[in-house]
Amino acid sequence: MKKVLALLLAGCVTTLAVSAQADANKPIVIQAGNANAKTKLVFWNGLTGSDGVTLDGIVKKFTDANPDISVRVEKMVWATYFDKLLTSLVSGSGAPDVFLLHEFEIPQFASQGVLYETGEFFKPKGDLDKADYEPEYIKALLYDGKTYGVPLDRHGWGVIVNKDLFKKAGLDPSKAPKNAKEFIDLATKLTIDKNGKHPNEPGFDEKNVVQWGTFASWPKPNFLSVLWQFGGNWTDGKGKATLDTPEAHKALQFWVDLIYKYKVSPKPAGYDGWQSLANQKLAIIPEGCWIYNFLVDSKVPFGVWEYPQFGDKKAAVWTSGHVMYMPVNESGDNLKAAKKLITFLSQNTAAWATAGMPAANLKVRNALKFSEVPVAVTYGASFKRQGQFDVGHKAITEIIDKGYAPELDNALNGLKTVDQALKDANKAVQEILDRE
Amino acid sequence: MTRAKTWRTGGYVAGNYAFILPFLAFFLVFTAVPIVQAVVMSLHDWPILAKKHPFIGLGNFSKLMADEIWWQALRNTLWFAFLAAGSITVFSLFVSLQLHKPGRARSLYRFFFYVPVVLSVAAMGIVVGWAFNTQFGLVNALLTPLGIEPINWLGEKELVIPTLAMATLWWGFGGPMLIYLAGLQGIPKQVYEAAEIDGASRRQTTWKITLPLMTPSIFFVLVTQVIAHIQVFGQSYLITGGGPGRESYTSIYYLYQTAWRYYRMGYGAAIAVTLAAIILVITLAQFWWNRRQSPVEY
Repeated sequence: MKKVLALLLAGCVTTLAVSAQADANKPIVIQAGNANAKTKLVFWNGLTGSDGVTLDGIVKKFTDANPDISVRVEKMVWATYFDKLLTSLVSGSGAPDVFLLHEFEIPQFASQGVLYETGEFFKPKGDLDKADYEPEYIKALLYDGKTYGVPLDRHGWGVIVNKDLFKKAGLDPSKAPKNAKEFIDLATKLTIDKNGKHPNEPGFDEKNVVQWGTFASWPKPNFLSVLWQFGGNWTDGKGKATLDTPEAHKALQFWVDLIYKYKVSPKPAGYDGWQSLANQKLAIIPEGCWIYNFLVDSKVPFGVWEYPQFGDKKAAVWTSGHVMYMPVNESGDNLKAAKKLITFLSQNTAAWATAGMPAANLKVRNALKFSEVPVAVTYGASFKRQGQFDVGHKAITEIIDKGYAPELDNALNGLKTVDQALKDANKAVQEILDRE
Repeated sequence: MTRAKTWRTGGYVAGNYAFILPFLAFFLVFTAVPIVQAVVMSLHDWPILAKKHPFIGLGNFSKLMADEIWWQALRNTLWFAFLAAGSITVFSLFVSLQLHKPGRARSLYRFFFYVPVVLSVAAMGIVVGWAFNTQFGLVNALLTPLGIEPINWLGEKELVIPTLAMATLWWGFGGPMLIYLAGLQGIPKQVYEAAEIDGASRRQTTWKITLPLMTPSIFFVLVTQVIAHIQVFGQSYLITGGGPGRESYTSIYYLYQTAWRYYRMGYGAAIAVTLAAIILVITLAQFWWNRRQSPVEY
C-alpha cells in the first residue's frame, strides 16, 4: 500500500510539475519602472526565453533613465502573441504601445494600415541615422515607399559545432569548410555507426548510427540560404512562383542527399538536434543565433562558423530581424514615450548580444567582442558579408507555412521526391500569389 | 370563471424563463451568435484586417472541395478519431469492468487512472513529446533493453497518427471510465443474483448481462468521443506540428492556421461549417445505427 501511495504521490507531483511548465504558455508580465508613473507604456513581445530576460534588463535601464515613464512588458509565446496582437489591432483597443514583428511581416500588416509609419524616427526628423544600418535592412522596412518599424537586431542562420567530437576525430573545429564537398567530407568523418564505421566505409550500419556528422535542421533557412547561393529564389518578385526551377532542385537535393546519399544526417522528423549536440551525438548543426543561451546553459564546448558556401553563384545566408512597431492610432503622451523607448532600445542593444542576437545598429554590433559574445560576433559578421532578407509579401506566412515548408519537410523525410515536392510547392505558392 | 393556474399560464412561464435566462444569455452570446456569424462569414471573402468583406456565396466551399490539403487533413482527422475514440471506448470499458470488482485498492486505482485527465493538452503534449522522443524518450528507453531498435514514433508516416491516438488514450480514458463505473453501479444486483442461481459463468454474466445493459453508456461514450476527437488540435499542433510533411495535419489545425495565421476568416469559417456538418452526419449515423439495435430489457 505504501508503494502505491508513493507512486500516486510521484504521479501527482509530476502532473503538477508538468502543468506548471505548461503554464509557461501564459503571458509573463514584467513591470519596469514606477507603476504610478505619469505615462504608462505596454510592450508586447514573443521572447519568452532567456533572450526576453535580457531585453527586460534593457527596458529597466530605460525606465531608470526616464522615471516619468513605466513599461509593462508582456511576453507570450509567438503563436499566442500573434493571435492577441491581431485581435487587438483589429478591434482598435487593447493594443500595446510597442510591439515586435519580423521585417518580412511588414507587408502583411502595413498593407492593412495598422502600423505607425516610422520615417520620423530617422534623421533629419529623428535621432536615428539610417547609415547605422545595413542598406538592405533599411530597404526591408519599406512598404509602398514608406518606412515601418525600427530595427532591434539582425538575427539569422549560421553553424554551430561540437568541439569535443571534432577533437576526438582529430579535426580542427575552427577550420570551417569552404564548399559543399569539404562540408560533406567533414560530416562523413564525423558520422559513426555502432561499429565505429563511417558512411564511406563498407559495412556501414545506417540503422545504428551513434554519432551524426550533421543535421538537416529547420528546412526554411537551410533551403532559402542554399537556394539563394545557387542564384534562385522562391519568387521572381513579379507574381510568379519559382520553386520548380533548376536552382531550387539543386538546393533541396543538396539537403536530401546529406540524408539519403551521403548518410551524414538523420531524417529530421523525430530528431532532436539541440539535445543531440549537447549529448555528444551530433557534430555540426546549422542553426539560428538564438541557440546561444542553450549552448551556454548546457555547457557544451562549441565552436561557431559563418554559414558555408554550398551553392556556386553567390554568397548568401538567411537573416531576419526583430523590428519594433507601434499601432497606427498611437497618440499623445504615449506616442512620445513610445518613440523614446524605441529609440533607446535601438541604441542600447549591446546587452542583447548576450542572448546571441547581433545588434541591428552597426556601431553597436561592431563594438561587440568575440571573447564575450562569440555567436553574435561571428553571425553578425556573416550577415554583414552575405546576409539576405526573405522577400516580403502580404501573404508571407501562408506562402511559407502552407506553400512550401511542408513540401520541404516531405522531401527531407522521404515522403516525396525532390521533383514532386518542388512541383507541389510551386503550385501551392502560385495559387496564393495569384489570389493576392 | 377564473382560469386555473397551470404550468402553461403566463406567470409560471415567465418565471421559468427567468430561471434559464442567465444560461440563455451566455448561450446566445457565446454559442448561438458565433455559429450564425461563422455561417455568414463562410459566405464572404473575409481577410480579418481588411475593411471590406465581399459576399462570394458558396465560393469558399467550392474551393474547399478542390483543396488537397483539406482532404489530407480530413483523412488524418478521421483516422485519428477512429483510433482514439475506438480505443478509448473499449479500453475504458475494460478498465471499469476490472475496477468495478470488489478490491481494497480500487479507489486508489480509480484516482490514479483519472489523474491524466486533469492535465491540460499543453502539459500532455510536453509529457508525450518527451516520452516518445526517438533518442531520449522513455518509451524507447524501455524497449531498447528488450532488443527492440529505437522507434521513430512521431517521425514515421505510418506511426505518427497511431502514436498520437495512443497518447490520447492514456490522457483521456479516465473520463469515460467514470461514466462506465456509474453505469455499472446502475445495473440491479438482482439480475446478477438470478444469473448466479441459473449457473451462469462470470464470462456469460459479462457478455449476456453486463455489456448489453451497458449499451446506453457505451453509446454515449462512443458518440461523445467521436465528436471530441474529430476536433483534435492540440496533439498535432503541440507534439508534431502536423508533420512529418502533413501526415498528422488535422482539420482543426488547418482551420486554425487559415483563420489565425493566414487571416482568411471566410475560408476558415467554411472549414468550420463543413467540419460541423461532417460531425453532425457521423453522429446522426451513429444514432440511426443504435436505433436499429434491439433494446435490452430484463
